[in-house]
Amino acid sequence: MAPLTPYTYIQCPCSDASTLGRQADGDSPEDDDLDDRTFDPRAPRSNYSLYPLDYLNYCEDCQQIRCPRCVAEEIVTYFCPNCLFEVPSSNLKSEGNRCTRSCFQCPVCIGPLSVTSIESQPDPNLLAAPDGTPAPHSGPYILTCSYCNWSSTEIGIKFDKSNSIHAQLAKLNNGGTARLTAKDHKERRKEGSHGLAGPPAAPAPTAAGNGDDNEELDVETQFANLKSFYQSQLADSTAGSSGLAGLTDLGFSSPTSLSRIMSIYTGGTVHDRRAKARPGTMREALSSDEGLQIASLDESSAIRELHEAGYDGTISTEQSTNQPPHLGEVYLHGSSRFASSLRPIPYLLRTKRSKRCPVCRHIISKPEAKVATTRFRIKLVASAYIPTITIRPLNIPSSPIPGTLPPLQPSQFILTFQNPRFETIQVTLATPAKTPGRFASKVTVLCPQFEIDANTDVWDEALKDSSDKTKIRRRGAAGEDGTHQAEAGKIWERGRNWVSIVVEVVPASLRMDLLEATANPLKEDEDVLEIPMFVRVEWEVEAGGDEVGTAPGRDRETKERCELAYWCVLGFGRVSQA
Amino acid sequence: MSRRPPRGEYIETDTGNKVARKANLVGTQNIMLGGKTVIQPEAMIRGDLARSVQPSSSSGGAPASNTAVAIGRYCFLSRGCCLRPPGRLYKGAFTYMALRVGDHVFIGPGSVIQAASIGSHVHIGANVVIGELAIIKEYVKILDGTVVPANMVIPSFSIVAGQPARVIGELPEGGHEAFELRELYKTVGNNPQPAPS
Amino acid sequence: MSSSSSKRHSILPPTSTSGPKPPVQFSSSITIADSTVLTGSNPILISSESVLHPRSRIDSLAGRISIGRRCIIHERATLGSVGTSGRITERGVTLGDYVTVEVGASVEAGDTVVGEGTVVGVGAKIGAGAVIGRNCTITARSVIAAGEVLRDNTVVYSNGMRRVDRRGVAELRKKGQARQIGVLRMMIPSNPGKFQ
Repeated sequence: MAPLTPYTYIQCPCSDASTLGRQADGDSPEDDDLDDRTFDPRAPRSNYSLYPLDYLNYCEDCQQIRCPRCVAEEIVTYFCPNCLFEVPSSNLKSEGNRCTRSCFQCPVCIGPLSVTSIESQPDPNLLAAPDGTPAPHSGPYILTCSYCNWSSTEIGIKFDKSNSIHAQLAKLNNGGTARLTAKDHKERRKEGSHGLAGPPAAPAPTAAGNGDDNEELDVETQFANLKSFYQSQLADSTAGSSGLAGLTDLGFSSPTSLSRIMSIYTGGTVHDRRAKARPGTMREALSSDEGLQIASLDESSAIRELHEAGYDGTISTEQSTNQPPHLGEVYLHGSSRFASSLRPIPYLLRTKRSKRCPVCRHIISKPEAKVATTRFRIKLVASAYIPTITIRPLNIPSSPIPGTLPPLQPSQFILTFQNPRFETIQVTLATPAKTPGRFASKVTVLCPQFEIDANTDVWDEALKDSSDKTKIRRRGAAGEDGTHQAEAGKIWERGRNWVSIVVEVVPASLRMDLLEATANPLKEDEDVLEIPMFVRVEWEVEAGGDEVGTAPGRDRETKERCELAYWCVLGFGRVSQA
Repeated sequence: MSRRPPRGEYIETDTGNKVARKANLVGTQNIMLGGKTVIQPEAMIRGDLARSVQPSSSSGGAPASNTAVAIGRYCFLSRGCCLRPPGRLYKGAFTYMALRVGDHVFIGPGSVIQAASIGSHVHIGANVVIGELAIIKEYVKILDGTVVPANMVIPSFSIVAGQPARVIGELPEGGHEAFELRELYKTVGNNPQPAPS
Repeated sequence: MSSSSSKRHSILPPTSTSGPKPPVQFSSSITIADSTVLTGSNPILISSESVLHPRSRIDSLAGRISIGRRCIIHERATLGSVGTSGRITERGVTLGDYVTVEVGASVEAGDTVVGEGTVVGVGAKIGAGAVIGRNCTITARSVIAAGEVLRDNTVVYSNGMRRVDRRGVAELRKKGQARQIGVLRMMIPSNPGKFQ
């Protein structure tokens, strides 16, 4: 088992019901209610509220921690993660959320596909297929995967041009045949009905005219056929009932016919009754021209293919869910289950997003809109406001399994708190004497209350660095003591803007026989020693304040006291099970 | 070229590069180091595989401008990693292209890099393989054991893992500071400073 | 900005080459870098126009190593390391023509065969006694177990997934390999005399 690196997770207040209504500020009532309840890091709810410090934001107006789950996000920019081109949000509505240039992922392994010319195809595997741009050769192009060697020839697709592959692909069926769009179908049908069944104004009876009742339609065409069929049906019935002009009036997009359709769907009870009175006005689709698709129960071809391709020829669930929605596919029985029909996946677009505080709606993070820049206009991260806590082992008795904590023996850890603020902060820590959960470990914070000096200017540090070493007050508290033992109530070490203290834990034994007989076996990660700790940070701000390092309680009138309190979880390591 | 006592583990250059004596640098005339870059023992850089646009031209003694590997400031090349320029067939001829690495790029032990470019503030874990002509933008974290296929583009603020690599997460804004390698730079060399607590 | 060294062309600490020089049989047209490491006691055969990059390593202790025509053995690739079985056979590793063994890949000895035109990716491992068919692709960091047999045109990817390469570009790949060798021959100073 890999040794566990110590970690600190911080709880976002958004999941805590008692703080939901609290617009945190300096003089919020003391947490009487919170005192009673110990935060249990293993409670199912905790899963959703614990974050490493890096992931948390901070709202300056609310003076509260905000997590990725509670902030409100707004999309600033859409871009393709492969070609890094920005996509205007207007295109998104018409073109969808995928790159419409030439960026595709391999349907087999999701590696990137590159456009390669077949004629002069060099070595697409290793020697980096040219991306098709400067190739002087014209000729059919294919998409190839440089990782798993998939190529679009496997589904019989080649392209005439090396650019705008997306548009070309949309017009191609697997096997390379041109896909008939709904428009093409309509035109073809119109031609057919012109020749066979008279005026195009009466599409309903032409069904037999086109002959092929069981033509397999792709999604787009089927939808278009169904739509036009029902529209014609509606037109028929309303035309009859409302007594408007005859069958030739098929201007569906005109406002008058729209209002007629609306009257049927909404307040048209009178029409309804009349329509019911005349049976046969509404019927269902009868042929593929009208969007009817008859289930083909003959699966022999699929079985034959399975025989030929074997298990390796079928696709995994992941591959099938990765497949992009494709208007050209025959949708009747869902998409194909064979690898031989997988189509390239156009890259899903990515976004740059800004974040707002859910309570006060202030923006707490806003990236620059341009794709190429990595700067932020606004970036309020929690690590600039609340102390970072790092855990370091100090004195751990030897354990039968290296990297684990021996049970029932006191282990000591150093917690280092680093103050990112430009004000001195007072920190008060509280932990339950015994950790919640089935295995109650004993916890003692040797110094639960201390003060951390301000994070002075970087230049101060640099200057100080040159004159005398930064850590002037290193081991200030216990320096006289030569052995440097951890002492209750005393700080272990102290530096410019950091303080370290000692925590002693006595891990509980994980032996099952000590628990009651009905105990369940050890759950996953139940052997990890996690300690909930309540951190309360206080500091004073004042517009004209000249000194900030005063003791708590003083100058209450002139200075504004701020406080922030939150739960965090310290993961110390795994407890030995031996 | 070394101001330090000559038998230290590292050669420290005037621009602050710390190059281990046990590093394998081939074709040093084609390797550019931006300064304050650490190259640990057994790291390998193939500067000899320089661009050869005309296949007939001899590039063994190519001029110094023919940079094969350019590395920015505060990069950290861990033990056993290997940087080599990517090769490709261009107009029917085989040529190597330059490998450009930005600033504050950490390359983990045993990783093999054949990218076209790596932006600044990139963390590459241990035993990662970066395929030929991959492009990695700024602020990207690549986890241990990842195989980035050839020609892949990884946009900024991505966390990447897997074989082949896929974007598995987004870097939070709070994690940007962690890419700074100034402190790490101080901890190696002939007289290393201890890591700050 | 300064180049790390303007005087020396490379910093390559000497490699520990203990033991006797293995008997070698080189074609006159091969390119073998000075810092290639050849060890072992069995013969090492390298056929025409093959390229061995600096710091590639060939060990013939566990059997004869033969490398076909126009193979490229990249830096830190290892051919013929004694496998976990420790088996010593007459033929350690046999590479067909046009085989590429990428950076840091390892082909263990023990009647191991890599077929013509196959690419062994960066950091991949081929176990002892494995027989790889022609024009296979072993992607980076893939592991082929000892004794495994791969059919022609197999692609091993994504932690051991298998599929069949249907591109049919073997000839183009060979052409590309030949061009790459043409460039490498000019870039890598060859020193076959050191090993003979």
